[in-house]
Amino acid sequence: MADLVLIFIGALLVNNVVLARFLGICPFLGVSRKVETALGMGMAVVFVMTVASVVSWYVQYFVLSPFGLEYLQTIAFILVIAALVQLVEMVIQKVSPVLYQSLGIFLPLITTNCAVLGVAVIAIQKDYSFVETITFSLGSAAGFTLAMVLFAGLRERVDLGPVPESFRGTAIALVTGGLLSLAFMGFAGMVKG
Amino acid sequence: MGHHSFSGGVHPPDSKAQTASKAIENCPLPEELVLPLMMHIGAPASAVVAVGDRVLHGDLIAAPRGFVSAGIHASTSGEVIALEPRPHVSGSRLLSIVIRPDGEDRWAQGPGEADPNELSTDQLRDRIRDAGIVGLGGATFPTQVKLSPPEGKKIDTLLINGVECEPFLTADHRLMLEQGERILDGMEILRCLLAVDQVILGIEENKPDAIVAMRQICKGTSIEVCPLPVRYPQGAEKQLIFAACGREVPSGGLPMDVGVVVQNVATAASISDAVRYGRALTERICTVSGPAVAQPKNLRIRIGTPLTHLVEVCGGLKEEAAKILLGGPMMGMAQMNLAASATKGTSGLLVFGSSSLPKMLQGPCIRCGRCVSACPVRISPTTIAAYARLDMIDEAQQCHAMDCIECGCCTYTCPAALPLVQSVRHAKGAIVARRRKV
Amino acid sequence: MFSAILTLGVMGLLAALALGFAARKFAVEVDPRELALLEVMPGANCGACGFPGCGGFAKALLEGKAMVTDCSPGGADTVERIAHILGVEAIAAEPEVAVVLCQGDNLRARDKYIYQGLEDCVAAQSLAQGPKACPGGCLGLGTCARICPFDAIEMTAEGLAVISREKCTGCRKCVSACPRKVIAMTPLRTTVHVLCNSHDKGALVRKYCELGCIACHLCVKASPGAYKVENSLAQVDYDSHCDATGGIGKCPTKCIRDFILGYPEGSSFSPPVVPVQAEENP
Repeated sequence: MADLVLIFIGALLVNNVVLARFLGICPFLGVSRKVETALGMGMAVVFVMTVASVVSWYVQYFVLSPFGLEYLQTIAFILVIAALVQLVEMVIQKVSPVLYQSLGIFLPLITTNCAVLGVAVIAIQKDYSFVETITFSLGSAAGFTLAMVLFAGLRERVDLGPVPESFRGTAIALVTGGLLSLAFMGFAGMVKG
Repeated sequence: MGHHSFSGGVHPPDSKAQTASKAIENCPLPEELVLPLMMHIGAPASAVVAVGDRVLHGDLIAAPRGFVSAGIHASTSGEVIALEPRPHVSGSRLLSIVIRPDGEDRWAQGPGEADPNELSTDQLRDRIRDAGIVGLGGATFPTQVKLSPPEGKKIDTLLINGVECEPFLTADHRLMLEQGERILDGMEILRCLLAVDQVILGIEENKPDAIVAMRQICKGTSIEVCPLPVRYPQGAEKQLIFAACGREVPSGGLPMDVGVVVQNVATAASISDAVRYGRALTERICTVSGPAVAQPKNLRIRIGTPLTHLVEVCGGLKEEAAKILLGGPMMGMAQMNLAASATKGTSGLLVFGSSSLPKMLQGPCIRCGRCVSACPVRISPTTIAAYARLDMIDEAQQCHAMDCIECGCCTYTCPAALPLVQSVRHAKGAIVARRRKV
Repeated sequence: MFSAILTLGVMGLLAALALGFAARKFAVEVDPRELALLEVMPGANCGACGFPGCGGFAKALLEGKAMVTDCSPGGADTVERIAHILGVEAIAAEPEVAVVLCQGDNLRARDKYIYQGLEDCVAAQSLAQGPKACPGGCLGLGTCARICPFDAIEMTAEGLAVISREKCTGCRKCVSACPRKVIAMTPLRTTVHVLCNSHDKGALVRKYCELGCIACHLCVKASPGAYKVENSLAQVDYDSHCDATGGIGKCPTKCIRDFILGYPEGSSFSPPVVPVQAEENP
């Protein structure tokens, strides 16, 4: 149990998928103008990342390993994750239009997100068991959401200030993101992971 | 009572010494009196006299239009010489009635004298309405509207505002010292009218002589004179209610939502005149002060007296006017010249020369948070100002921009000299404009 | 090698089958025209049509709540394409540009008081109708320039708003933002304008502005039919299609300007190169 907690905390803070591993920078910059949308995106990632890790764990240990095809890991994972997300999107759109409005529009954005793939691959590399994989992906996704919401909050504040002309837009966003990343370096060494 | 303290507020130098010891003087009649039809909150009055008509002091010359409106009365006897747009305190030219006094100052018949104890509440209210009385603290809200709470609203406290927290102004202070009986009479009439048990008179502690005088006058009555700590804006309606009664008016609510009616001391005094003697509101006390005025004075002025006349009576100007304010320096209305004339809400006329104005250089917000801690309604002026600048009206509304009472504490305290209260007012304007559109 | 191809092939096939099945089973109807409409719209989301962004406009079009010609930033081209998608006949609106009808910057027009406060025309206007002595002149605090979604308005150093004829798309945002109503929509083909917005009498205008119209009627006499004087203010009669250039030299206060010959003084915009007037019908 203690192991699982450590994995979760490690993925959430110490090795934050965005701010320490620098995966998933695209939505981190793209969908972080407002806290609301950042939270929606984060929730979508929590869902997709967990499901993707579970499925890719099965693919790895029940399809690729038995046939000795570990070298096909990347392409197989992408195939499976993309198909899965598309499927889920269709189902949500039909079953719950309300949920689709708030969550679904982000789903196509993350079908081939590097953070999703990265978490699936890292879980395999670390030889995590099934339960550990779920914990790890949940922690990573929560870390992603945390980073997104913090960053969106900062950007909302920065938008109110008189930013110099040359720093407007992406420039100040990257500076802000860098500072946020520096802040997360403070967690380094807290958990071995 | 009186042990509560609203949050925020500022302590501007009170600058009242120039006029605090000066007895009220009668201002001589000017050459002509200019009475704009718009000198209260609500619908403007409509003129009922024509050019050439002879009027007597107290004659109705403009009738109220609708419930939230107030009539206007001739402030001396004379001839109506014009009915035309004249410079108004708002800066534009508005339709005004111009009267040339005949110097006799004969009073009109009016509704006559009456004993307030023998009048019904409706009769009392009618007399107040027919006298054209509005809130004389500066807001100029028609008084009879405030005294007609809707069904189901229980009023249990009458709060009389003698705080006068604006620097420079001493009109209410002198009124309490010299004419306390009028105020007392007005308070008793209001108590009967509203059928309340509790009457509180709030006075700021920087007027100890007024507190003593009013305590003396109110001896034997149940009216409680409540000294309040010196802090601007102690005299703002909602802050005063909290300080004197410990009740907080909810966001977007009115004092009557917490069972309180607030009236200014000058309003109470003119209510006494209206009810007891049947006299309309045709004069008020006005402090003419400021560093550029040669002889600052407290004047009893006729409504409609041109501002130039007020300055002349006070010995003219020592230096060229750089800033002219009607009302106090915190909330007063800036004037571009002295072309307008005094209205019912003119509690003060302040003139500053360029040497006495602070030279402030506007800079960027340094996020010191002084405006936030000074704000008596606990909103964040700097955030709302930023939203207003970026045209983010929804967000400004979510920050409760509409709760702003425009007291000016934020602008006063801002080290970067940002026009914060103006920004918030701008946001309020945009919110109201959009509400109208939708 | 063979097993790799087979494994991936089977996985791909399974995924394809699942998706194909889901696409049929969970199909949601979307009007294809909505997507097509979004394609042809400018995508500025400026709101000139009165709907929340281009998406809202597309929806409103399909529901019949909006007019085909409502998208002024898109111009005739977009209107035509929208009409094509919807299968309706389009009468293309004549292209319009916004023009600031004033040349009274701080050097040429007098102020009636010194304004200190928020750099915003609406805020300044609420203080005694604004600091400019002229009741209709440009206040020069840049509210229009900040609100313009196409960056088409510049403020000169002396406080005058100037609108670029090339960048302006005719979205009218500045027209509704200006508290003094000094910005007018004019046909793009007309480059000659009377740049004054004061309806005061000539003697009064002379007191507060060097470049104000004094309603002397000289332009009307020089170019009959091209100008009209209403309420003490000359205006180019935009409907008359008459040549207005004759009046320019006659104006004693120099308040008529042909934008072909240059923008008002202090502007960094270079004059429009192609005279649009050449396309006039015979």
